[in-house]
Amino acid sequence: MSASTAPSPNATKAARPLKRRQYDWPKHIVLMTLIGIELFPLYMMLQVSFKDTSTFLQQPWLPLPISQWDWSNWSFGIKLIAPYLANTVFVTTCATFGTFFFALLGAYFFARSKLPGKGILWTLFLILLIMPGVGTFVPVFMLLKSLHLLNTLFALIILGVSGGQVLNVFILRHFIEDIPKDLFEAAEMDGASHFQRMVHIVIPMAAPIIGTLSIFAFMGGWNDFMMPLIILRDQELFTLGVGLIYLEGEYVKPWGKIMATYFISSVPLLIMLLFTMKFFVRSFSAGAVKG
Amino acid sequence: MPRYTVHKKILRDWPLYFFIIPSLVLVVTFQYYPVASGFYHSVFEWGGGDAKRFTGWENYGRAFTDTTFLNSFKVIGLLLIFNLIKMWPSVIIAVLIHRLKSDRWQYVYRVLLVVPMIVPSLVSLFIWKFLLDPNIGGLNALIEATGFKSVLVAVDNFFGWGVFFEDVPIAWLGQPQLILPTLFIWGFPWIGMFGVLLYLAGLQSIGTEVYEAADLDGIGPIQKFFYIELPLILTQIRLSLILMVMNTLGGFGFQLLMLNEAGGPGGRGMVPGLWIYNRSFVAGEFGYACALGIILGLIILGLTYINNRYIRIDK
Repeated sequence: MSASTAPSPNATKAARPLKRRQYDWPKHIVLMTLIGIELFPLYMMLQVSFKDTSTFLQQPWLPLPISQWDWSNWSFGIKLIAPYLANTVFVTTCATFGTFFFALLGAYFFARSKLPGKGILWTLFLILLIMPGVGTFVPVFMLLKSLHLLNTLFALIILGVSGGQVLNVFILRHFIEDIPKDLFEAAEMDGASHFQRMVHIVIPMAAPIIGTLSIFAFMGGWNDFMMPLIILRDQELFTLGVGLIYLEGEYVKPWGKIMATYFISSVPLLIMLLFTMKFFVRSFSAGAVKG
Repeated sequence: MPRYTVHKKILRDWPLYFFIIPSLVLVVTFQYYPVASGFYHSVFEWGGGDAKRFTGWENYGRAFTDTTFLNSFKVIGLLLIFNLIKMWPSVIIAVLIHRLKSDRWQYVYRVLLVVPMIVPSLVSLFIWKFLLDPNIGGLNALIEATGFKSVLVAVDNFFGWGVFFEDVPIAWLGQPQLILPTLFIWGFPWIGMFGVLLYLAGLQSIGTEVYEAADLDGIGPIQKFFYIELPLILTQIRLSLILMVMNTLGGFGFQLLMLNEAGGPGGRGMVPGLWIYNRSFVAGEFGYACALGIILGLIILGLTYINNRYIRIDK
């Protein structure tokens, strides 16, 4: 971003006397208004999370002074949601690692081999890229039932890994093909196996795109609630989504406690985002949308 | 000799087949097999257990006379139009941010846009449900406070809708006539953070000299949008259009949680995916649900094909 727009201030300053001046403040007003409305639900979540039911009903809109904050909502939320969070972190982390381990192997096969059968296999993958996975959740449910995987976290991991294969193999293949061939030839001369070439050439060279893709995979798994809702029965196995659905389904709603729980459920992604901010804020590197 | 080189390659590179096997097994088991199994079971009357009765094309025949299923496509058509409208705020936001002169402000806005991404989508859905609550929700409070409620009541009296009343809080998710309008206003101002970041990435490729040339020609801001910015991000818009269409057609989690497994009061929010869920896990008609799934899958496949064939935008 900065590379392409950095010269602009000087350039526009030079050209400015020729044309009428343009102001930025109307844009700021529009942006601030829209983003303000967009952030309003977040504000509600945060300030309601410190109120008990009576203070909430008295004054739902404005935040309480800090001295009156009710931290018991938060301890309630942590106790309730921490086991679900642990399950979710376990499932999404395993699924993300599995997805990229297998997707990298697959992409390497498509990018670097000239073996017979490659064309047919590629077609098999490409068909799935346009074939929707919707409407098949009933057969998937039955398949898991016959594999005795219902009500297990492993079912969620394996569904995540298999669901992530096609798109990631598709994107990674193009990236591996773009890596200079000389590198692979040099490694071959040195007697490196295909797996070593993958570990020492492909993974370092494709690290940025793997990073971006795995954030998407992680967030996709994190936000998934449909499959867990169908698959999981035991409360100790619940992932975040199922836990929140059951919490929301309670008849009496202590809003302060519910909002505190919502906020705590956002904390892991907040932590992840702090570490990966540059992927988002520098926007997806243009390559992420290639293909 | 090509045959000789092929042999040599197989001899040398055959372990590479092991690289593709895991992916292939996963994809075949969890993506191809369910489609085949769904098709197989769609010609049975099947309750999910061992007992099933072959009925031929009966399930498919039933689907085409199932008024709930047919009506659900009207709902999905409307939702598609809604979502088509809801795509544009993201484009406008991205263009506005891109046009800001200060890099620092651009950065600030990007950070502000990323912040809502930390909230699980389920949580933002539930918070919206809370804001739409008739008694304690924010939307009703806003409508009362601004006096817009009396306008709504007056309009209602004039047209005789029987939806808005003076002293009754508006039940956004409880009134059958209000379900679809509520699904429209849900998520206002409809900024998709993913979309904005994607468009910003596309807009970066516009060099400053393009804008300078446009300024010299005396082109206004709206024309700049149509002649410079829009053409450059058409690829990204098409990508999010495809994703939006597939998500809208196949998705039903949103309707399941906002309304219920019957599509809310009067079934006004019933979408095809939700009806499949309803038939399988509520009614236990798994064979029929498989047939519905196959029909829905074919429709989406057809739309994707048309999309790829006719809305192709060459770079």
